[in-house]
Amino acid sequence: MKPTIAIREPVVDDALDQAEAKLTPEQIEKVINEVIDKETGGRLWTYVNTCIHCGLCSEACHWFLSNDRDVSFAPVTKIKDTLWVMLKNKGKVDAAFIKRCSQIAHTECNACRRCGMYCPFGIDIAYMILVVRRICAKLEMVPLYLQDTVHSHAATMNQMWVKPDEWIDTLQWQEEEAQGYVPSARLPLEKEGAEIMYSVIGPEPKFLAQLLGNITVIMKVAGCDWTMPATAGWDNSNMAMYSGDFEVMARVERLHHETAQRLKVKKIVMGECGHAFRGAEYDGPTWMGWMKPPIPIVHAIAFYYDLLVSGRIKIAKKVEGPVTSQYPCNVIRNAGLGSKLQYIMNEVCENFVDLIPNDRHAFCCNAGGGTINCGPPWKKIRVQSAKLQSENFKRTGAHTIVTPCHNCHSGVEDIVDKYKLGMHVKFFSELLIEAMEIPEDLQP
Amino acid sequence: MYEFVSGPLVWIAFIIFIGGSLYRIYYMLAGSKKEKVVFPHMSLEHSVASLVHWVIPFNNQSMRKRPIFTIISFAFHICLIFTPIFLLGHMILLDESLNISWWTLPEGVADWMAIIVIAGCIFFLYRRLTDPVVKNVTDASDYLLLAITALPFITGFIAYHQLFAYKTILIVHILAGELMLIAIPFTRLSHMLFFVFTRSYFGSEQGHVKHSKDW
Amino acid sequence: MVNSESWDWEIANKMVADTSKWKSQFEDVWEPYISSDGEKIASIVKVGEGEFNIAVNNATWGEEPFEKIWYSRFSPDGRLTALITKDQEWTMAVDGKPWEQMYEYIWDTKFSADGKVIAATTKQDGVYAITVDEKTWECPVKLHSIASHVISPDGKTSVAIAQTVATAEADVNAFTKGSWSVVVNGKPWKENYVDVYGLTISDDGKNIAVEYRAAICEYGIVVNETPWNEKFACTWEPVFHPTNSNEITTPVRQGGQWFLATNGRIVWDTGFYSLLYQTYSPDGSKIAATVAPSFAKWTIAVNGQPWSKTFNECLLQPCFSPDSRKVAVIAKDSGNWFLVVDGTVLGEGYDNIWPPVFSPNDNKVICKVEKNGKYAVAVNGKIKGKEYEALWNPVVSPDGTKVMICGVEAGKYYRKVVLLSDL
Ligand code: HEM
Ligand code: HEM
Ligand code: SF4
Ligand code: SF4
Repeated sequence: MKPTIAIREPVVDDALDQAEAKLTPEQIEKVINEVIDKETGGRLWTYVNTCIHCGLCSEACHWFLSNDRDVSFAPVTKIKDTLWVMLKNKGKVDAAFIKRCSQIAHTECNACRRCGMYCPFGIDIAYMILVVRRICAKLEMVPLYLQDTVHSHAATMNQMWVKPDEWIDTLQWQEEEAQGYVPSARLPLEKEGAEIMYSVIGPEPKFLAQLLGNITVIMKVAGCDWTMPATAGWDNSNMAMYSGDFEVMARVERLHHETAQRLKVKKIVMGECGHAFRGAEYDGPTWMGWMKPPIPIVHAIAFYYDLLVSGRIKIAKKVEGPVTSQYPCNVIRNAGLGSKLQYIMNEVCENFVDLIPNDRHAFCCNAGGGTINCGPPWKKIRVQSAKLQSENFKRTGAHTIVTPCHNCHSGVEDIVDKYKLGMHVKFFSELLIEAMEIPEDLQP
Repeated sequence: MYEFVSGPLVWIAFIIFIGGSLYRIYYMLAGSKKEKVVFPHMSLEHSVASLVHWVIPFNNQSMRKRPIFTIISFAFHICLIFTPIFLLGHMILLDESLNISWWTLPEGVADWMAIIVIAGCIFFLYRRLTDPVVKNVTDASDYLLLAITALPFITGFIAYHQLFAYKTILIVHILAGELMLIAIPFTRLSHMLFFVFTRSYFGSEQGHVKHSKDW
Repeated sequence: MVNSESWDWEIANKMVADTSKWKSQFEDVWEPYISSDGEKIASIVKVGEGEFNIAVNNATWGEEPFEKIWYSRFSPDGRLTALITKDQEWTMAVDGKPWEQMYEYIWDTKFSADGKVIAATTKQDGVYAITVDEKTWECPVKLHSIASHVISPDGKTSVAIAQTVATAEADVNAFTKGSWSVVVNGKPWKENYVDVYGLTISDDGKNIAVEYRAAICEYGIVVNETPWNEKFACTWEPVFHPTNSNEITTPVRQGGQWFLATNGRIVWDTGFYSLLYQTYSPDGSKIAATVAPSFAKWTIAVNGQPWSKTFNECLLQPCFSPDSRKVAVIAKDSGNWFLVVDGTVLGEGYDNIWPPVFSPNDNKVICKVEKNGKYAVAVNGKIKGKEYEALWNPVVSPDGTKVMICGVEAGKYYRKVVLLSDL
């Protein structure tokens, strides 16, 4: 089989270059065989031995479709250029090859699982991509910014190097902000026995603290019994899951769940983030041996759905004009919350203009799966490869795109920017705050 | 020669085909068991739901997006599987040696079905040569699989029409058929064996574990 | 341990405070806490705009209100501490009286076993430290962050996991050289590590251990600056033997399975899909741990022998009876929590169960349970007595004959002492 011709602009990523210089063939061979023999089993074997090389999966992938059907971006090609070679050569590959593997697996695939839904056999390409990432991670072949984020998870148990005092301080500050809207609002820290533990991802306290103020208002208006931890374990995000460092991934997820267990809550409600839901609901528990999270996890979409359906939050004035929404892969295609998202969008917007394709068939924003965390060196190709979704957004004519996911939020902002869509990008909670009714007795 | 090829060798081919298939399925299941999470993630309900959506044509988004491919693929596979099983020529042999038989296809129909399979192989070959994605992931093994698939149909067709050297062609045909049977468990033609399992797993993971759908 | 012998163990049903009055007295009342002897109940209350105090029984805590109060916790000796702010600066206040020194920030209050020593993490001028009874560590290197800290039961040793080397943004190399260490009473260990976790100190305060990351996918245990020779694919928090502090045990991962290792040697020969919360019996003769023999099947293994009964969701930390014979644990199965003793489910399923305690004489298991939003005391898994709006973990008297039950009924806080045999 001839190697794929992949034409890429050169990208400088210090971590990859360093690893390439350092790795020895023996190390590579050992790690590849170790991962294949010890960490995979029937699934990988069956997938590789079943794939009939039909290429039908290519039609699913936005990388392929956005890059003028460049074959080097097709899902099956990504496996050909990585695992097939490793398996055929029994791990005897060179460092340059592993570097290319990282480029493919970390920066050119979002593990969005759309292709699995288009393969007639249901071959899970995204799973195999994660096997490749696992091999890369064990060889320290991980793009610089992604690796830095993983180090942050490992050292601080959050994604953004937020120190413990900064975390608490931010919450206390946002509690005050919330009291500007609803004077009696409170952000209860460490309240054992509350019904809900609310958890967020690292960037919220770091860059988007107002979201913490918003939730404080929403919780008060809805009359929820909730709490947030004042200890590590507050961050539900997990880039280690995406770099392939599963031990760090598990440590982070374990702490998140044990924090909820320690606080004796009935459920964890999490902010608007997709990959965090995936880690907390699926990858983390699976590694730990839990069939499902020991304390149930409720994604923001499902939570707002419950609040709206039960009437605990009422809408005073719907958002005017056409509004559309991104469908975050990890909570829609891979968690089935599509119709709930449509419901809440219709509840708060006068004119919700749906995407085509929508729901579980909607395309990835191209920021997911850790690709955006690979940082500035990889931004150009990432945004360029979101062209298809930019056209889908454009067609809606919306003034605002709602992104109930942090990665989508940043990714869609990049899309809006690059393709000059002139649209606002907002979290659902930001619309809700504008639209919801604040009962008179709670007003200042 | 003919006696050997149409006698003991048929037995051998079937034994290898069935034994090999069982072994490969066992190997797959054992490997999946080793992975620990595979079986706990499976659910019968979602396996069946997935299969229903993927064995019925146009019952999923992927197939609807490519109507021509879907029609060809289904026609190809239906003819591929049903022609040899319900072929009069095969039935006569079966009846002679084992004294069992069942319904057979009218000869004209069988003829056309063989042509559809051959045409399907030509279509797949054409894609392999022209579609850039498919071309890029094609190697000798893919052509070989197409040849192994097409050969029994081509030779069977020639033999049936007694176009030339009937006896030789028939021997070649039988050998080709046996080769195909033997190839199924040990090449990627084993997709026939694994289809049900890969679909069930992905259907279960999407449905049972992730509360979504895979079609 | 607090000496509970000195508590009031007279059989009685004492109404300590009518907390329902607080609601009308103050603008806002937060969730209450009680002292270990049950004699005091306290809630942070809002007394005006930007003015907070703590209501303690029928009095208030601070002479004057503070701008902000949080993390009110009773020390085991009965003093009420909280973190307070004045003029944008923070400090600890004990029984309403602030420490003299103010800090940029203070958090994570910890107490010695008898409650005499109070420690917390503090930050001043960008430098992190542990402050013990108003005395802040003087550390020869600047600490850039403190991840966690522990204090020995006698209060003499305080230890923290701290960042000892500053790293620039995305400086992966500096990070992999090691930037975290362990600091003991202000003195850092010589070595820096990539990551440090699972800080623990032996009961006698002599030995300190942590997990550390030796390489990207390699973990080990360091005891008093000396690492185990053995490295593993992963580890979890180590635990010291209760009476022999030279022995330390931790779960380790090898070949995709979890094992239990003592002082670096694998001591349980069976591997598990998961292994957590290893716990020594009080006499140190046994170890129980929460294990998953296979995916999504959880149980307890005692000395490596798993119970036959398994649970499909999760198990919390096991707990031994005082005589080291029995093991109790809280298990979740199909959405309900159960009390399990020696592999047998006791009583019915609950919405929540708090950590169980054994009565010393007859090995009854007592715990707080929640059902339909109400709380109650359960003995051997069966609810005994009333339901409460709020309830604290029941405490068994030192002689094992009585139980102290502290709870709120109709807005009033009661401290009851009852005979265990009457429950
Ligand atoms: C394994 C041993 C096999 C034997 C002994 C065998 C024998 C025969 C015989 C005797 C004929 C009839 C020729 C005639 O009419 O004169 C025939 C025809 C045919 N066989 Fe087979 N065959 C075998 C396997 C297969 C297989 C595996 C396939 C396809 C998957 C196949 C496909 C066909 C076809 C398509 C025809 C011609 C039908 C037509 O054009 O009407 N055969 N075979
Ligand atoms: C129940 C059994 C089978 C199932 C469910 C099945 C399914 C599939 C599927 C899903 C594909 C992918 C492309 C497409 O949709 O056409 C495929 C392709 C193919 N199958 Fe099958 N198959 C089965 C049996 C067989 C057998 C028995 C053979 C031949 C011995 C065969 C030969 C082929 C060939 C040659 C291709 C096309 C490969 C290409 O693109 O070049 N299949 N099959
Ligand atoms: S998982 Fe998504 S991004 Fe990756 S190859 Fe498949 S469709 Fe493309
Ligand atoms: S669609 Fe499935 S079988 Fe076809 S090439 Fe892609 S992964 Fe392989």
